[in-house]
Amino acid sequence: MSVAQSGERVETSPGGAGDGVALAVRGLRKTVHVGFWRRPVEILRGVDLTVRRGEVVGLLGPNGAGKTTTVKVALGLMRPTAGSVELGVASLSRVGYLPENPYFYEYLTGREFLAFCARLFGLGGREREERVARLLADVGLERAADVQLRKYSKGMLQRIGIAQALVNEPELVLLDEPMTGLDPVGRVEVKRIIQRLHGRGTTVLFNSHILSDVHELCSHVAIMREGRVVWDGEVAAALAQAATLEEFFMRVVGGGEAAGVAP
Amino acid sequence: MGGWLRRLAAVLVVLACAGGVVAYQATRPPKAASDPRVFVPSPRFFLDASPAFRTAVADAYYLLMVQYYGEHVKTDMRFDSLPQMAELVTTLSPHFTRAYLFAAFALIDAGRPDVSYELLQRGWRANPGDWRFPAYAGFFVYRYGVGKEKDLVASRWYQRAAAVPGSPDYLPRLAARLAAKGGDREKAVVMWGQAYLAGDKYARRKAVEGLEQILPKEKQARMRALAPLVDTMPRAALESLLAELFRGYVD
Amino acid sequence: MSPVVCCAPPGDPARRRDGAGLSQVGAIAANTFRETIRDRVLMVIVVFALVMILGALWLGSISLGQEGRMMKDFGLLAVTGFGLIVTVFIAASLVRKEVEKRTVFVLFSKPVSRGAFIVGKFLGLSLTAAAVLAGMGLFLFALVWAIEGRPSGMVLAATALVYLQVETVMAVTILFSTVASAILSAVLGLCVFVAGQLSDNVLSLTRLGHNAVTEAASWVVFVVVPNLTAVDVKAAAVGEQAPDWGSVALWAAYLVAYIVVALALAVAVFRRREV
Repeated sequence: MSVAQSGERVETSPGGAGDGVALAVRGLRKTVHVGFWRRPVEILRGVDLTVRRGEVVGLLGPNGAGKTTTVKVALGLMRPTAGSVELGVASLSRVGYLPENPYFYEYLTGREFLAFCARLFGLGGREREERVARLLADVGLERAADVQLRKYSKGMLQRIGIAQALVNEPELVLLDEPMTGLDPVGRVEVKRIIQRLHGRGTTVLFNSHILSDVHELCSHVAIMREGRVVWDGEVAAALAQAATLEEFFMRVVGGGEAAGVAP
Repeated sequence: MGGWLRRLAAVLVVLACAGGVVAYQATRPPKAASDPRVFVPSPRFFLDASPAFRTAVADAYYLLMVQYYGEHVKTDMRFDSLPQMAELVTTLSPHFTRAYLFAAFALIDAGRPDVSYELLQRGWRANPGDWRFPAYAGFFVYRYGVGKEKDLVASRWYQRAAAVPGSPDYLPRLAARLAAKGGDREKAVVMWGQAYLAGDKYARRKAVEGLEQILPKEKQARMRALAPLVDTMPRAALESLLAELFRGYVD
Repeated sequence: MSPVVCCAPPGDPARRRDGAGLSQVGAIAANTFRETIRDRVLMVIVVFALVMILGALWLGSISLGQEGRMMKDFGLLAVTGFGLIVTVFIAASLVRKEVEKRTVFVLFSKPVSRGAFIVGKFLGLSLTAAAVLAGMGLFLFALVWAIEGRPSGMVLAATALVYLQVETVMAVTILFSTVASAILSAVLGLCVFVAGQLSDNVLSLTRLGHNAVTEAASWVVFVVVPNLTAVDVKAAAVGEQAPDWGSVALWAAYLVAYIVVALALAVAVFRRREV
């Protein structure tokens, strides 16, 4: 695998992320140009991240750390400036994605929207109908299935968003702030969904600011700060160094290695 | 106390305003006749700027022309911009027959029979299949023309109108009468012959009456006057006509 | 399982793996049609257009017996105007709205190519435009029939060709929307429509230039601006010159080719953009 010179787009080579790895990010850099004078701003400064198959991994970090950008680059929604991403799945059609603060088509009903997403994966006829019905039941939206999305509450939109991320029964699911806007009941349902996915062997990577959920669901966390992963390890290892995950997180993002946090 | 006084004051103010509005509108004097000089753009502008919408523009200006005529015919009888409006409408929509005909008559009221006549001629060139243009041109020449030749000119117009398929059968008779009135007896005879040929029983009776009015009574002179029909009518029809014209004449 | 290599340029054919392209285009088109046809603003505009067409009846009442002609002319004007407004403003926001509302992330995280997205959006909006224009055109046709006592096929033909003109403007507006804001794209789309009515004038300009640069610039503008008047038969609907149908057919094919080029450019530009 070659690493690009600064400014070039990486040329990746097939060769595998390695057995047991669902997602491998190496030296990922991303620079954007903002403002009238196109001032370069480096959002990612060499992200290294490995997600093993079957894990539920929490990607944490303060706002602006580069979590969402990392996920978007991993999906090919953005081009990296340097570095590589390798996905350990057969194709992108085996990946599911929920963006942050999702917005969907106002005048479609929940059922129509999921059917549309299913059609994009080539699902047809009866199989599509059954899958849509099952997903609606999984996220607790059967009764609102024929209501237009513009009438959905934020929590309902979040749940339909999760449903569309799962429409293709993915092997790897990337969820950006899946708990945002959910009431406690909604959060419990989403957590159950993630646990069910984990039980089926699906790999899940999600960003979240709710550390208690991360603690509950994840075996592994990666913490980003200023465009880099500054800590990457098991939840248990983090809790060995602090009383709570919040405390550990504050120490890492407040100073990281300098604060004496062990990898 | 202060509260209801304020409310009362507000209501009174609103009522006073409403009353003022109604009173002002109700007592407004009627609108004076607008300026008879209206800005009319050149047809070239619309042909260049909106060729796809020229008929819609023509319609809009046609409606404006009708309203303009209607307003001024009731007030000051001034139609200064009517010729320009007529030119604009008919240039943008050369097949808009109604516009030509309306404008032609309106221009008479505007004291511009010359423009009216020219408009009808233009309409005829653009719509050679519509008998109304030459027929009205003939009428205008007959009614408003001056000079000794006007009857003959009018007759020629009626003749052109009569030649259009589907034109009314009285047109040949009008052409013949005007030719006779204009002093061209030979032409009148030929025209009456055509009217006899083309018409029904009524038209034939009218043709015989028309010929009786212009033919000499003396038999030989009558026969000489009818000579042009030999080349312009089929034999059977000519014999039928001659039988009627010479009924009561002794050989 | 062999890993897939990510990070090929978005829109690269290698990215689009499973999911037949045509069925994705169909899914996006159907989705776009459903979204746009249910928009209440669209309904309001269409109702307003029908009211304006009915308004032509009043104009006919002051036309001294020219009701049929007034209805055809002003009715077709309303069909053109409102058809244009509806399609240009929706087309301008089609792509932009998806980027701003981030529904593109939902779409492009699935095996959907940029090309399928653009073409699907265009086809979906074409269906919506067809429904709107067909509704207005049939309404006008029925009114003209009621007034004149006989059907006027030319009204339907004129409406169909207005649809083709509107489709052309829509394709160009979608191209603009890949690089510009929704408002700017809409304004530019309307400008293209106006310029398309003046294509003959631009041709004249190319012959008036006194130096090579202005002549060349005029030629570029002339070639780039679509010639929309060549397929306009509104004048024929009210009895002006009968159209040369052979020529109209050729120009219609030209506009279809123009649409294809505009969409291809839109796809090419959109592929280069990060969303």
